[in-house]
Amino acid sequence: MKRSLFSRIWPNATAVVLFVGFVFPVYWMFATAFKPTGDIISENPVWFPTHITLEHFKTATGVDHFWTYVTNSLIVTVCAVVLSLAVALAGAFALARMRFKGRRGFIIGFMLAQMAPWEVMIIAMYMIVRDASMLNSLVPLTVFYMMMILPFTILTLRGFVAAVPKDLEEAAMVDGCTRAQAFRKVILPLLAPGLMSTSLFGFITAWNEFPLVLVLNKEAEAQTLPLWLSSFQTAFGNDWGATMAASSLFAVPILILFVFLQRRAVNGLTAGAVKG
Amino acid sequence: MTVQTERPPSGPVDVTKVDQRGPGAQRPASRAGALAPYLLLLPACAATVLLLGWPLLKDLLLSFQNLNMGQLIQHVTEWNGIDNYKQALTGEDFWRVTGRSILFTAVNVVLTMLLGALVGLLLARLGKRMRVTLLIGLVLAWAMPVVAATTVYQWLFAQRFGVVNWVLDKLGWHSMADYSWTSSQLSTFFVVTVLIVWQSIPFVAINLYAATTTIPGELYEAAALDGAGAWKSFTTVTLPFLRPFLYATTFLEVIWIFKAFVQVFTINGGGPDRLTEILPVYAYIEGVGNQHYGMGAAIAVLTILILLVITAYYLRIVLKQEEDEL
Amino acid sequence: MKRKLITAIGVAAMLVSVAACGGDDGDSGDKAGADGYAGQTLTVWVMDGSSPDQWQKDVQAAFEKKTKAKVKFEIQQWNGIQQKLTTALSEENPPDVFEIGNTQTPAYAKTGGLADLADLKSTIGADWTESLNKSSIYDGKQYAAPWYFANRVVIYNKKVWADAGIKDTPKTRDEFYADLKQIGDKTKAEPIYLPGQNWYHFVGLTIGEGAELVKKDGDKYVSNLADPKVAAAIETYKKFQALSKAPKDKDEATPQQAEVFAKGNVGAFIGMGWEAGTAIAANKKIESDIGYFTIPGATADKPEGVFLGGSNLAVAAGSKKQALAKEFLKIALSDKYEGELAKLNGVIPNKESLQSNLTGNAVAEAAAPAAAGGGTTPLIPEWAAVENAPNPVKTYMTAVLNGKTPAEAAKQVESEFNKRLAQQQ
Repeated sequence: MKRSLFSRIWPNATAVVLFVGFVFPVYWMFATAFKPTGDIISENPVWFPTHITLEHFKTATGVDHFWTYVTNSLIVTVCAVVLSLAVALAGAFALARMRFKGRRGFIIGFMLAQMAPWEVMIIAMYMIVRDASMLNSLVPLTVFYMMMILPFTILTLRGFVAAVPKDLEEAAMVDGCTRAQAFRKVILPLLAPGLMSTSLFGFITAWNEFPLVLVLNKEAEAQTLPLWLSSFQTAFGNDWGATMAASSLFAVPILILFVFLQRRAVNGLTAGAVKG
Repeated sequence: MTVQTERPPSGPVDVTKVDQRGPGAQRPASRAGALAPYLLLLPACAATVLLLGWPLLKDLLLSFQNLNMGQLIQHVTEWNGIDNYKQALTGEDFWRVTGRSILFTAVNVVLTMLLGALVGLLLARLGKRMRVTLLIGLVLAWAMPVVAATTVYQWLFAQRFGVVNWVLDKLGWHSMADYSWTSSQLSTFFVVTVLIVWQSIPFVAINLYAATTTIPGELYEAAALDGAGAWKSFTTVTLPFLRPFLYATTFLEVIWIFKAFVQVFTINGGGPDRLTEILPVYAYIEGVGNQHYGMGAAIAVLTILILLVITAYYLRIVLKQEEDEL
Repeated sequence: MKRKLITAIGVAAMLVSVAACGGDDGDSGDKAGADGYAGQTLTVWVMDGSSPDQWQKDVQAAFEKKTKAKVKFEIQQWNGIQQKLTTALSEENPPDVFEIGNTQTPAYAKTGGLADLADLKSTIGADWTESLNKSSIYDGKQYAAPWYFANRVVIYNKKVWADAGIKDTPKTRDEFYADLKQIGDKTKAEPIYLPGQNWYHFVGLTIGEGAELVKKDGDKYVSNLADPKVAAAIETYKKFQALSKAPKDKDEATPQQAEVFAKGNVGAFIGMGWEAGTAIAANKKIESDIGYFTIPGATADKPEGVFLGGSNLAVAAGSKKQALAKEFLKIALSDKYEGELAKLNGVIPNKESLQSNLTGNAVAEAAAPAAAGGGTTPLIPEWAAVENAPNPVKTYMTAVLNGKTPAEAAKQVESEFNKRLAQQQ
């Protein structure tokens, strides 16, 4: 009896400890952002903000061009993700469903592409973009971000496509659908959760990127939020309230998207993880 | 956002099923059909060649050039053969950074995989409510954008008013009260490791948990009939079933952690005294920071080669499996 | 959601087409038409804090009146400026005019990125103070125009000092130390905010000791940090740094020391006079408490050595608006606006004749006594590479502050220091 009580308690106890460990940094970011400065720099931490203030958010958003950065970040991220999903879906379908010469080569190729250490190639990319007179534009950013997430998207989507029962597609084709129609009417709806959970990775990557935009776009009109956050941190390094408010603002869209998509994609997650 | 594995044991039979259809079953439009996969892959391949291949080639070309402030400003190309490589490979810095990079990746990947797997198995054991709670916690950590997470960790570990130092002080470790975590190599790596492991565990744990839910119950029943205990059924059923996931996840973690530029660079800029530079940071500081761009390009090429060597084992497994499948 | 995506794609497509048209921008003409330079915009990079808003506004107005063209000031951070400037100078549209630190000027002059300003020197620069113009000349040619010079002073909080019961400002290094000690003992304030890597102050201390940072070894420059005179300078630095709670591995810009000071519980910091403006911008209430004094030296008759920081204005060789850029320099460096800058910021102007603008200026009066004994880092093209992060001089400072002996620390950074001095150009 004693043993079974113990074995019932420890998983839950561990789970509680883990939960606290994983949530605390996120909680602390928000808590700090809402606390008055006096509570932030206090000898004993104020665990729960009692006097909520929005002053730090005002500092953080009061920076010149703040809304330009927001718009740019959104445009670049959304375009990169949508483009890469479209391109990847076609490729993933071929890799998962068709037999052809060189298939293995393509798969290895994308796996290699996934390993590309982009940060070390910055200067090469800079010179290409500079010589093409495309600096201070969102276009190179969008397409490079698209490329950064493309290999992962293809390889992951391949798993999701393979997980859709082949019979369904064949049944549709027997019913007189062409292969393209079968794809659109049968496979695509079943793929929706997979597409969503795959897009998460893309969102995070594109939303976060800053070494490239730092060197490509010197004009504020073409800069994005990560630059704002990192420059903010240099200038206001000790103003933790404002820095945390900025971090919170930066993290919120991704957190919302994640919670929202993760729930809807939970079936896809299980299905996609085990490649059918 | 899931791991995609290569042919788990219960693997897909559909691919082989296609094979079983004789040539006679092929539809008339077979020539167009034969082209279809290439057409479908065309956009992806074109993008890869243009957007990845070209920068790679450019980087390779730059690595054979003497390219500094003057040459960059004047758009002058000054070939210097293999000087950059010679200088990098004969200096002790490069090898020291390489060794550090490999050790750094190994420690972080092992910690992430071990802890991640344990959390994943724990998830499978929990009751529904507790599981959802823990899942929420994991997802929150997972979803934190790296740039924001790095900033938050700097605040947690801040010398003054940082909550970590406060807790350590209260726990009786008074010398930590005003401790500067960025002051030494080990403490900087400690912060970076906590940050990386914290961010990587959820991915491993959630995927592994998802995988365990797909293990057919009959396998366990059969093992129980054979008189297997909890440990035995874990090693004979769970582990073999999860192996492909573990391989694939480890591969992804290796490349992600090896490339953990933002975390290392933002926490302490590779400092103190350049002691926490890992390869991508080293390439950046030598190339962009030091305005020695040709040298940076050479280090970048070497970095890519080293990453290839590290992952070669996994790539070979994939290569073999795909071969078996066809 | 779907519609938004479509809009986003539309925007992207638009951007593609806009960018495609952007390339053949034929209007790069530099001729002053009947309308002067109407319709053109000159881009000018100035460093954070170096020129006050008022000055920018006045110069802008004068420039627009004279040339009919517009001028756009873009504020830059010192952090990472060399990387940004190098790439910018290689681009099609570099900043037309930019501020450049005097220690960095020789390196950029050598790259060919700076336009030759010989004609400007002959039209408006005949009476530029020669010692201040030294960094702008490379290989006998004039590559930049001296703009302003300044040396660090002690900026202190009068209220904190009064709370500690101190009546007069210190005249010697020992008095200074004793006063700070007293603040630490009698008030809750931090006596001085001095981060471990305020390296320009350290350079000042080495100048005070008569030390050199580099020496010649054959035809190469090598580190001279092992010199006992450098060790003496870092020991002084260490003694004062011990009174501060500021991080030992950060410089004065991360965080901005003036912003820390603005919170009101710091006794003093060592900085440029204009940093007081940064503090006032962060906290208006601090204005009446701010005072300045010369950094005291070992004896009362000789102030501490200081780094003579300065900035030049240069024109990008790749700028398509050379003539307009020179028009701008003629206005910005004219007696009127050069004098205004000196007055507003308390900085040393580029001509002796304009010094009168500094009378009655508290900052300038605190800075002036030390300026005569001021110096710079070596004015050699090799030097700029040393200042790239991670700057070995900063590493040296942190190492000593964290307990290494100066000799050990000098040894530790020597190879990195020498590597940078020997770096291929």
